[in-house]
Amino acid sequence: MWELIDVIIRLLLSPPVFAPLIYPGLVTVLIILVSLIWLGRKIAAKVQLRYGPYYIAKRLGGAPQLIADAIRFMFQEVIVPRTADKIPYLLAPALAMTLGLVPVVFIPVAPGFAGIVTSYSLPLALALSSLLPITVILMAWSANNKFTIQGGVREAFMVIAYEIPLFVAALSMGLAYGTLSLEEIVEKQVLVPGAVLNPLAAFVFYVSMLMSAGKLPFDIVEGEQEIVAGPFTEYSGILYGLVMGASYAQLYVLSMIFTEVFLAGWHPFIGSLGALYLPLGGLALFVKAYLVLAFSVFLRSVYGRYRLDYALRIGWERLFPLSVLALFLSLGLRVVGVV
Amino acid sequence: MSWRDEKLVVDWRKVAKAPGGEEIYELFIGPQHPASGHMRFIVRLEGDIIVDVEPDIGYVHRTMEKLAEGREYIKNIPLFERATIIDSNNITLGYVRALEKLLDVEPPPRARYLRTILSEINRIQSHLYGIGIAGIMLNHSTVFMWAFGDREIWMQLAEELTGARLTHTYSIPGGVRRDLPDGFEERFEKAARYMLRRLEDYGKIFLYNPMIRSRYEGVGVLKKHEAERLGAVGPNLRASGVRYDARLLGDYGAYSELEFEVPVQEEGDSFARMVQRVEEIKVSIEIIRQALKKMPDGPILAEKYLKLLPPKLRERVLKTGRVKFPAIFANLRPPPGETVARVEMARGEVFYHIVSDGSPKPYRVRIVTPSFRNLVLLRLLPREHRFMDLLAIYGSLDYFPPESDR
Amino acid sequence: MGEKANVLIDSLVKELASLAEKVERAREDLVVVEVSPDKLVQIASLLRDRGFDHVASVEGIDRPKEEVIEVVYQAESYDENLRGVIIELKTKVPRDKPELDTLIDVWPNAFYMERETWDLVGVVFRGHPELKRLLMPPDWEGHPLRKDFVVKEEGIFVELEG
Repeated sequence: MWELIDVIIRLLLSPPVFAPLIYPGLVTVLIILVSLIWLGRKIAAKVQLRYGPYYIAKRLGGAPQLIADAIRFMFQEVIVPRTADKIPYLLAPALAMTLGLVPVVFIPVAPGFAGIVTSYSLPLALALSSLLPITVILMAWSANNKFTIQGGVREAFMVIAYEIPLFVAALSMGLAYGTLSLEEIVEKQVLVPGAVLNPLAAFVFYVSMLMSAGKLPFDIVEGEQEIVAGPFTEYSGILYGLVMGASYAQLYVLSMIFTEVFLAGWHPFIGSLGALYLPLGGLALFVKAYLVLAFSVFLRSVYGRYRLDYALRIGWERLFPLSVLALFLSLGLRVVGVV
Repeated sequence: MSWRDEKLVVDWRKVAKAPGGEEIYELFIGPQHPASGHMRFIVRLEGDIIVDVEPDIGYVHRTMEKLAEGREYIKNIPLFERATIIDSNNITLGYVRALEKLLDVEPPPRARYLRTILSEINRIQSHLYGIGIAGIMLNHSTVFMWAFGDREIWMQLAEELTGARLTHTYSIPGGVRRDLPDGFEERFEKAARYMLRRLEDYGKIFLYNPMIRSRYEGVGVLKKHEAERLGAVGPNLRASGVRYDARLLGDYGAYSELEFEVPVQEEGDSFARMVQRVEEIKVSIEIIRQALKKMPDGPILAEKYLKLLPPKLRERVLKTGRVKFPAIFANLRPPPGETVARVEMARGEVFYHIVSDGSPKPYRVRIVTPSFRNLVLLRLLPREHRFMDLLAIYGSLDYFPPESDR
Repeated sequence: MGEKANVLIDSLVKELASLAEKVERAREDLVVVEVSPDKLVQIASLLRDRGFDHVASVEGIDRPKEEVIEVVYQAESYDENLRGVIIELKTKVPRDKPELDTLIDVWPNAFYMERETWDLVGVVFRGHPELKRLLMPPDWEGHPLRKDFVVKEEGIFVELEG
């Protein structure tokens, strides 16, 4: 009997099960959703001279607010419009959440610990994360509503704006380090983090990350004031919770990649904890990714929303040339022999 | 520019012909919408370019002109106040001035200064409201929360002066209802210093934020002769280079005795309109300072009505500074005739025309509010702009639907 | 009011005296001009040429006792010399056939005000391209600001049990 439990625990703690399920997978994403949205609201409230989430557990400052929201979403009625295309309408949010989370299987959290260990983890993770906009357009089209179609069109435009700079910036770092595996990229940043080496690529990746996840100043897709929550207008109940979570999942995946490529991943590696169980040693990765997420969420208190053609212009006139410059910078660093 | 050879500023027949066809995408930004206010826009888009905007108003029409014909003159003051509740002294002051001209009574000097102070407090508060709403239309929630939080200070000052935060009903025919409380000057100075500091913060986070500038500059340009011809009023007019302000006409309040400079911007785009509002807040603070310094002593209700009160009541009114209405107010019968009055509200010039036939209820009251006059701008400015500019223009015009529908 | 303005107003009053039925300088800053409906456009164009380039209000006053509806245009100007002056242009149309020529070519900003006057008082402006309900709901019948307008009251039916 004890052997059975032993086998189960060993199965759970093995990388192919632990990574997608617990860390950096499902459980971590849920923890981040619950805490990050609350943190964002509290930070925005502090800037705006008010309290933010307050009434649930007053002594904790309203921290369980998101759990209350999740419970509310569970019990809310899911309204399906009569004229909507039912199967895509119901499937698309689940698909969005799933596709948003799939890239985590490739992201290593400690040396040698990843869901699938491969030496092409960087382009694979990025390529999988670019599948999310398809589900958003599917949502927009199936809801059969003029506002949602406008939102879907805006999503399509935004993908054109940010996708290429994102990839070129990430791949320029791959070029600089001479490898496309996230694990090796992190190992090469023991002394100098990637952001110091190639700040252009870091900047371009960060701004493209904000565009991709739809955070202010680029929340054009769900532009509340003009098109009433864009592609997500008709959703209610648990489907709404899923779509709202999907955009945060996308932000999370990209900030994990950002931390590993530019901020030296899990260094400084805590050897003692690592000896206990490998991912625990990579705690620094989680902390750094969380700080990046918190900063991205803080930006909503400073900015308004860009106009659609301005966002496109930023993507093509500013970010794309900068990313190409970052590429050349990496080439130069490689040739000179700094890296 | 001579009117004889002007190109038609707007060809209404062409504008009124709504375009239709395969490429036109019609969106109803209706009353149930997060940011449309109490009105509906029928927007016709061709791709991302707005071809036509039709504002559909009338959702908050409260039939004030008809109701005014069924009430006595003094009861119409709270009625008209509800048209623009955030700017209440200015909108009732127009009615009270028209009534005073009919009754041939002039308020005493102290009452005129007190009216000026409350008018300027309302103007500051209304401009903060306008800045907040313009911010939230661009999804800039910080300036929205800040502007509405800072309105609190001015509402508390108004509460000290009049007893109510928003529904002041302060001006009555012949004077005002209450006198200045003690310590008002110090509290105002504190508020003024705080507000000027905060306006710097607004500039840094909102007005001169490069992102917001990119949304406002060059958007919704209203040229100078267009503004004059279309009858634009208020900060929208002054941001296009026309130095017109009904306060300069000098026939109400104490403005003719105070020195102030009406600010004017030249460009006429949305950015100029936002800057204009911030400048006007600063000018209003100056006006209140001067008025408090130069405030004359004396009664706050005209002699003609004070002497109608019994002597004991008169003593009490003069001592405590709280006015009791004389009995004649319930049954004011102005002589038959018509008068006209204009007052500068925060959003522009409000126009009153009272027709009296000698009975206690008016025969006809006509009120044209500034938002109703700016309605033409909402029809004409967003054309040829992108869809997201519609809300930027709407926010910068500071259009207030309840005021426009009355 | 400056001397220049006074001179301008006086010359205007003299010029209008021959065209209008009655011109009166009611107060220092108010000039009342009464015209017949067929001379309306001509006098309005004259006023516009003199600098009164927009209209502050268009209103309709229902006078059932005289069986007319009086339409009043109040013109004003932003010009330095003429500000503060209001020219009231009054005209009377018969109550059972209230038709008037539109003035939106003379004063473009009368567009919405004429529409409102049609909506609330019932004066038809010939040539106005968009004479439909503005403040009332689109299927409303009747013109509320007339003196004989009666609000339709709906009964409330209550079912009692037992």
